[in-house]
Amino acid sequence: MSKTQEYLRRRPLGRFLADDAAVLPVAPAARPAHVGEVVESSTTELIAEACQLHGAPPFGRFVRVEFEAPIIAIVYNVFTHSIEPNRRPTAYGKTEAELRLEQPQIFELLRTEFQALVVGYRDEYGPAPILPPQPARIHSFVYLCEDEEVAEFTQSDEYLRSILGAAKVPTDELLVATLRHALRARGGEGAYLVEMGKELSRLLRDDYDRLSSILRRIAR
Amino acid sequence: MDSRKGTGGKKARRGRRLGVITRGSLVEGLEMKLDPSQNIEDMKAGKFAVIEGEKNDFFSMVTDMRLDAANPEILLHPPALDDELLRQVLSGTSTYNIVSLRPMLMLPKDAAVEEGPRPVKAIPSHFSLVQEAEEEDVARIFGREGDEEGRFFSLGTPLDMETQVCVDMVRFAERSNGIFGKTGTGKSFLTRLALCGLIHFERAVNLIFDMHNEYGFRAMKETGGRGTSFVKGLKQLFGERVAIFSLDPRSTRARGIQPDFEVAISYDQIAVEDIAPLQDELKLNPTAVESAYLVYAIYKEKWLSTLLKLDGPDVEEFAAEIGAHAGSLVALHRKLKRLENFPFMVSRLTEGDAVDRIMEYLDRGINVVLEFGQQTSMLCYLLVANIIARRIHEMYVKKSERYYATQRPEDQPRQLMITIEEAHKFLNPVAAKQTIFGTIAREMRKYYVSLLIVDQRPSGIDDEVLSQIGTRITALLNDEKDIQAVLTGVSGTEGLRSVLASLDSKQQALVIGHAVPMPVVIKTREYGTQFYRELGCLDELGEEERRAKVQKDIKALFGEG
Repeated sequence: MSKTQEYLRRRPLGRFLADDAAVLPVAPAARPAHVGEVVESSTTELIAEACQLHGAPPFGRFVRVEFEAPIIAIVYNVFTHSIEPNRRPTAYGKTEAELRLEQPQIFELLRTEFQALVVGYRDEYGPAPILPPQPARIHSFVYLCEDEEVAEFTQSDEYLRSILGAAKVPTDELLVATLRHALRARGGEGAYLVEMGKELSRLLRDDYDRLSSILRRIAR
Repeated sequence: MDSRKGTGGKKARRGRRLGVITRGSLVEGLEMKLDPSQNIEDMKAGKFAVIEGEKNDFFSMVTDMRLDAANPEILLHPPALDDELLRQVLSGTSTYNIVSLRPMLMLPKDAAVEEGPRPVKAIPSHFSLVQEAEEEDVARIFGREGDEEGRFFSLGTPLDMETQVCVDMVRFAERSNGIFGKTGTGKSFLTRLALCGLIHFERAVNLIFDMHNEYGFRAMKETGGRGTSFVKGLKQLFGERVAIFSLDPRSTRARGIQPDFEVAISYDQIAVEDIAPLQDELKLNPTAVESAYLVYAIYKEKWLSTLLKLDGPDVEEFAAEIGAHAGSLVALHRKLKRLENFPFMVSRLTEGDAVDRIMEYLDRGINVVLEFGQQTSMLCYLLVANIIARRIHEMYVKKSERYYATQRPEDQPRQLMITIEEAHKFLNPVAAKQTIFGTIAREMRKYYVSLLIVDQRPSGIDDEVLSQIGTRITALLNDEKDIQAVLTGVSGTEGLRSVLASLDSKQQALVIGHAVPMPVVIKTREYGTQFYRELGCLDELGEEERRAKVQKDIKALFGEG
């Protein structure tokens, strides 16, 4: 169990106190803190609960689920809702800061979850753009992928195809976000974007409108 | 046997990858999708490429290029000017380039060393890799200068390459050849190069009708307005192996050259056959020639001197005497009077027969340049070239017949190549049937005589003659008719048309035919100091080299010891 979690266990409300959060012990560099925990899992996608309220990884970010063969997934949906399925939060007409002072318990009744699209895994040979043999286990921790890991996994264009092939995801938006992350992980290398753009053009079957819109948004 | 050497065995992969074959046919040529990493602007018409099939390498020439798009929508809404990313992404994928290739030769990958390339009878399969040809490929096809036999002579380099393109001089000398091109595209330089090759490798002895005094001694080089410079002529390069004959000795001397022989022509040397081709120049009507034959029937070789001695009024009387049509003979007489104005026309030869001297030189293997000096009128050129060529033709026929009879190697005549400029005047459909040059072009190969036709208007030349031309070296031509004419008698020319029309106006030429295994566009060899040195011109060699060459020559002349 990481230090952050220990800390949180000792002070259950600590994470909601803004100024307090600043003194959260910094996780050691060698092992960054996890960002979530798997609560629902299938071969093609998984749902994880974020460690912090509103603390899910960004849309389109590559995450890794620790496993024998770590699973690579792309965050495609983040949602925050009430713990109780039957109780919806109600509007109070106050700012978040005011609410945190007056009714801190209501934040305790909310949680943030995110959905991620499984696009591959890593084994001893390196990244494999293939669905893993077994889905992630419930309660496995979810970590953000390091830049090197992202760069390595996005070397081939297969993740674009996975995104295009997935149902229920906002395909174009996800392509834009993912490519932006992949690009940032490479330090904004223009040649990479051109190369991926070419692949995308092929995958989109020369849908010129769509391609140009996606490219425009990535390059913004 | 073809001596072009193959390297044999599996070879290392070639350099730049150009693309892959996507479609095509044997008849229409192949299409290659250009690799996105290649710039379409690097694909010039006439460039060399090698298609690596499974069993064969196909040597091909780029003949055409096309821009294409997978989706017409892109063409309706092109990317914005500043949208560099989209342009880059589209290039090579949705918008791509197709390059047409014409396979010219194929070489089996497991070909033995001595096996040469073969004509194309198959095509490579889908997605065969196309690569830029390497020097080794070019050498494998065209040979390399400095081979043991001394067959190959480099005319230049392929486009964008540094290697040599060689012409097989043995095959070149075997047939009649043509050098074509618009004026100012470097015909004279190409001709001079070809002649240097023939003389240097002693593949043929040359008789050059040098209308503009360009080949014998120095000639002016066009420098595009940046002053003038001069290049060496054949006499300077080959010394004793070239003799300059002059029709206009005064002009020749004025240019600082002492001619080896001053040519004069007597009236008795002119036959009616020599007048017939002048119909155009002298504006003779058809009956004039018939009248001339009438005079000839009575006076034989004295016919012309007899006719010209008459004064105007006497001609009609003379006509009545020999039974010719008076008007016609009067016209003939009036027009032939023009011949008297030529300073080289004499009534009696003082220095011996020029043609005999030319033959004597040619027999000794000395090349003859006949300069016309200031006598640059077409009439003069046609007349003199005809008289000399006709006589030489007769002599060569006799020599060849003797050789056929005796079959002794020492009787074998030397291969002779006659260079004529403004060839369409001799070889147009009307004249080709009358002039001796038509005969030479058509059938003289058997008699060891061939022509080197230099012309800027190949469409004016008779088709029958054109189709017999072995090797064509063609600089830029624009006129559709001329292009058509140059490609007459060459198979698979569809793609060459575009190549021919897109040549640079300087220093580029297309070589097609008998002496090269496949058509090739060349950047012509620099005719300058380096070239002189390579030909062993003494002036250009260093002290050491010169001494070594002189020693070698002495040995060659007098034997060892």
